[in-house]
Amino acid sequence: MSSRFRASFILLGAAALLAAGCSREERHSRSKPVGETVAAGASPDTIFPGGGTPPALDARARLYDNNAPAIAAGQELFSQMNCVGCHAHGGGSMGPALMDNEWRYGGRIDQIASTIAEGRPNGMPSWRGKLTDTQIWELAAYVRSLSGLPSKDAVSSRAEGMSGASPGTLTPHGKVQPSDTAQQQ
Amino acid sequence: MRSVTTAVLAGLAALTAGALMSSCNKRAADNSTAANAPSGAAARAVPAAAAYPADNGNWEMPSKDYASTRFSALNQITPANVGKLGIDFTFSTATTHGFEAPPLVVDGTMYLITPWPNILYALDLTKPGAPAKWVFKPNPAAASQGVACCGPVNRGAVFSNGRIIFNTLDGSTIAVDAKSGEQVWRTQLADIQKGETITMAPLVAAGKVLVGNSGGEMGVRGWVAALDEGSGKLAWKAYNVGPDKDVLIGPRFKPFYAMDRGKDLGVTSWPPNAWKTGGATVWGWISYDPQLHLIYYGTSNPGPWNPDQRPGDNKWTAGVFARDVSTGEAVWFYQSTPHDLFDYDDINESILADIPWGNGRRPVLLRPDRNGYFYVIDRRSGQVLSAAPYGYVNTSTGVDLKSGRLQYVAEKEPKPGRVVRNICPASPGMKDWNPSAFSPITGLVYIPHNNLCQDEGVMQANYISGTPYVGADVKMYAGPGGNRGLFTAWDPMRRRAVWEIKEDLPVWSPALATAGGLVFYGTLDGWFKAVDARTGKLLWRFKTGSGIIGQPISYRGPDGRQYIAVVSGVGGWAGAVVAGKLDVKDPTGALGFVNATKDLPNKTTAGGMLYVFTLPR
Amino acid sequence: MSFDYQKYQSAFGNAGVGNHQFLILFAIFLGICALMYLAVIAFLVGGLLRRRRAGEANVVETGRHHRSDPLMSTGLIAWGAVVGVGLVALAIASFFADRLDAQAAADPKLTITVTGNQWWWDVQYDASDPTKVLHTANEIHVPLGVATHIILRSNDVIHSLWVPSLAGKEDLIPGRVTDLTIVPKKAGIFRGQCAEFCGTQHAHMALVVNVDPYPEFIKWWQQQLRPATAPANPLVLAGYRYVTQRECASCHTIAGTPAGGSVGPDLTHFASRRSIAAGTMPMNEGNLYGWIADPQSIKPGTKMPTVGLEPNELHAVVAYLETLK
Repeated sequence: MSSRFRASFILLGAAALLAAGCSREERHSRSKPVGETVAAGASPDTIFPGGGTPPALDARARLYDNNAPAIAAGQELFSQMNCVGCHAHGGGSMGPALMDNEWRYGGRIDQIASTIAEGRPNGMPSWRGKLTDTQIWELAAYVRSLSGLPSKDAVSSRAEGMSGASPGTLTPHGKVQPSDTAQQQ
Repeated sequence: MRSVTTAVLAGLAALTAGALMSSCNKRAADNSTAANAPSGAAARAVPAAAAYPADNGNWEMPSKDYASTRFSALNQITPANVGKLGIDFTFSTATTHGFEAPPLVVDGTMYLITPWPNILYALDLTKPGAPAKWVFKPNPAAASQGVACCGPVNRGAVFSNGRIIFNTLDGSTIAVDAKSGEQVWRTQLADIQKGETITMAPLVAAGKVLVGNSGGEMGVRGWVAALDEGSGKLAWKAYNVGPDKDVLIGPRFKPFYAMDRGKDLGVTSWPPNAWKTGGATVWGWISYDPQLHLIYYGTSNPGPWNPDQRPGDNKWTAGVFARDVSTGEAVWFYQSTPHDLFDYDDINESILADIPWGNGRRPVLLRPDRNGYFYVIDRRSGQVLSAAPYGYVNTSTGVDLKSGRLQYVAEKEPKPGRVVRNICPASPGMKDWNPSAFSPITGLVYIPHNNLCQDEGVMQANYISGTPYVGADVKMYAGPGGNRGLFTAWDPMRRRAVWEIKEDLPVWSPALATAGGLVFYGTLDGWFKAVDARTGKLLWRFKTGSGIIGQPISYRGPDGRQYIAVVSGVGGWAGAVVAGKLDVKDPTGALGFVNATKDLPNKTTAGGMLYVFTLPR
Repeated sequence: MSFDYQKYQSAFGNAGVGNHQFLILFAIFLGICALMYLAVIAFLVGGLLRRRRAGEANVVETGRHHRSDPLMSTGLIAWGAVVGVGLVALAIASFFADRLDAQAAADPKLTITVTGNQWWWDVQYDASDPTKVLHTANEIHVPLGVATHIILRSNDVIHSLWVPSLAGKEDLIPGRVTDLTIVPKKAGIFRGQCAEFCGTQHAHMALVVNVDPYPEFIKWWQQQLRPATAPANPLVLAGYRYVTQRECASCHTIAGTPAGGSVGPDLTHFASRRSIAAGTMPMNEGNLYGWIADPQSIKPGTKMPTVGLEPNELHAVVAYLETLK
């Protein structure tokens, strides 16, 4: 092909690649000055009698799910807000493991955000009012990444802990079923 | 003639008096025959007489007696016949969170207290199959499971004056009528919003119910409280950190060592305000000396684990208190581990013993400590008579008996930004809460314990009340030799192990010693074992349905025969990987224990079943 | 008191022993190198302007041994010697400057641990008596004429501390401990700056160093050890309640209150500092309102989130923070 055609072809290819990577790297650190809320909506994992339908995924979810800066911010908060104290680095301790594919209260990002904001029976504290909603969404994105759910290119490839093993975000995980909820005790 | 009659009469009188005296106090007779026996017997430690009454065949408190011997004087089961021991009956407690409590047996009724939801069962031993007489459900808050660091466990109830008294995970103490199962009183003591829970077994002494809180990993302020046994009202409460007036330190307080003397040390040995989240909880064992009227207990680790945030000695954490049981006044304190670096709580059991000393005997406490040393401490003054390592220790070189100070190895100190490796013993210590047993016949202390080392990295801990306040990442693994557990028969006088059993998994169950010459303990994968008390030879074992972390007991049943009972149900810190269904991919899970128990889910599953064994009829 | 602390961020400030040594060395280097430079220029100009001697051929002679000009060779040897002496002189001057600096810093009376975070400075004053350990942020006071040992650590990425008027740069490296000793000679207020790119707000990471005479320094330390002022009126009390029960306490510590967070700077005596957010803005009420209302608009990417306070909550919180002197 002619050199001029080749140049513009390369330019277009580069632009396309850039555009594809964009949304994954968009940083949403500036939320609205008056807060948005994490809704305490119904979990998609319940019975909807009379032919009802589960609620649609929260619109804000796409800003945080698969978003690398959000997962990184969530990783920092996970340690700072003592999540590590109960959940270790995904393995669990006082609290259940977060790196497996059993989700007591749902594994969709808005369900996880709701769990963090509301708290849950059996000991998960309620963080509404103690963390901003951006922070809760970022934590939810990171928690999801602990079980390998977002795409691998959005997560950190380096383990920050001292385990020496590859980070939980990159180890292979079992397939998550649509409503994979462990028995509550 | 008259002199002969006098002599005969005098002789008869002497004989009668001797017979009367020897039958009055069986224990004393044993001692006197022991004194005539080979000199080895006179050189043995014996339980403190005032705290060690004659065995009535019951098991009325988790430690068996105030001296904490966990020794049963029943001797029907012996090394000769234990091979025939078999199941008499079983009972499912309907809980699977980790069973640490002993069954209590009082005159034909057995009482079981479960982990959260802390159900209290009363079983009728007089009927075949021991059906339940009543069930008491205290309904503790489910959220308390979220602030219980090491399993929602319960270490036992206690029987006293016709009542069963126990603690719930969400912080209340309850007294239930032993016959009817009706609640007599209930007192709320701890606040789960601050991260406090109660997991310990209360002690009833001198009309007081002694209760301590848990939460050293949650940044709580530790305390011990005394409730009036009849009404449940608070009689006194002593904090273990803070100013002297809160710690009930007054004119009677005379610590033996200079390092424990000073005004308001519970404040001045901390950075400003750090004592308010300083730990020093009382989640372990309390012993009682009825003669000295003193209770003895140890305090937990300081908060947070990261030592960089709390320069200073951090009084009164990781040490032993002696308090007057009626008023709570502190009488002495000894800090086993000043400025703790590795979560070496001091809450382990204190066995009250009298040891030969000079021409007489000296009253002491025998304490296998978490920091790796077996302490013999004079229980009147708090002076350390000896501290010998009972396993492999590389975090310290010894205890300086002149100053009382633990001599740390500087390279092992965790500092932010670097990981310290090969720390032995690991944070669960040389031995954790699971208590040892003391046999007055052999004079040995039977210690079920760990052989673990760890890597630790520390970072800034953020204090948010109701959440963990730790600041450390830990990864544990087997210590030298590759075995993660040990069962040691320790001679406190000669300060060495007489025999030792290497166990693959950490030994997290308490020990039971019997007069028949046997010692019983359980392994983390469910084997319930009987070994010879003198030689350590395995004589019998039975594979129960789940790992054993609960106290085995021995009692005399309504038919007069000897029974051995234990509840199997893996959990606690060591069994968290199974009880909590944790993921073995993360080695820092369960504060580092997951790395040391990665194989446990393949070896056992959760459970909560009572097993009662006896000889064939 | 109004002042321009920007004026005190100068390598020519000559306010500390380290800086003083640097200036002397700078003068020596400048002098010697200037002379060298002028000499080189002189030779260059001379060479350009020198007339060709009459009778010289333009063609370069080959094959015949060319005798060097004696004047030229002596001159070059002398020039080489001068340069050599000059370099040795500079090396000696540099060596002694370092030694004098180290000697002055030999026996530090005070140790401060500064931990770099993105993008603020965590400060701890060490003391053998644990009740005197002071935890603060973003602003330090040091005594005049006394060597102060600063231990440097980092919580996240590489930073560098540079207080130009007092001393040189020293990096704060995660996983390592470095240190710096300053010996201030002049009292006053000096500004330090993070000198290693550490992220999007590297430019807004300043450390204010106050050099006080020793008695004032002790008074300041004692005052900073006191717990936070208790709320005195309903508005301040409402602010206290918000700060200790809501988002603020998750990250900040205010001594004497339930707020015990250690993610962000210690706020116990926040209002006594001269700047907000590590030198981003001077401390005054207007700036404080702006900062609390929306930190992301002032310092985008900072770790402090925009909380979204209602107007009455904002009033109460700012009123409370202003009492934390």
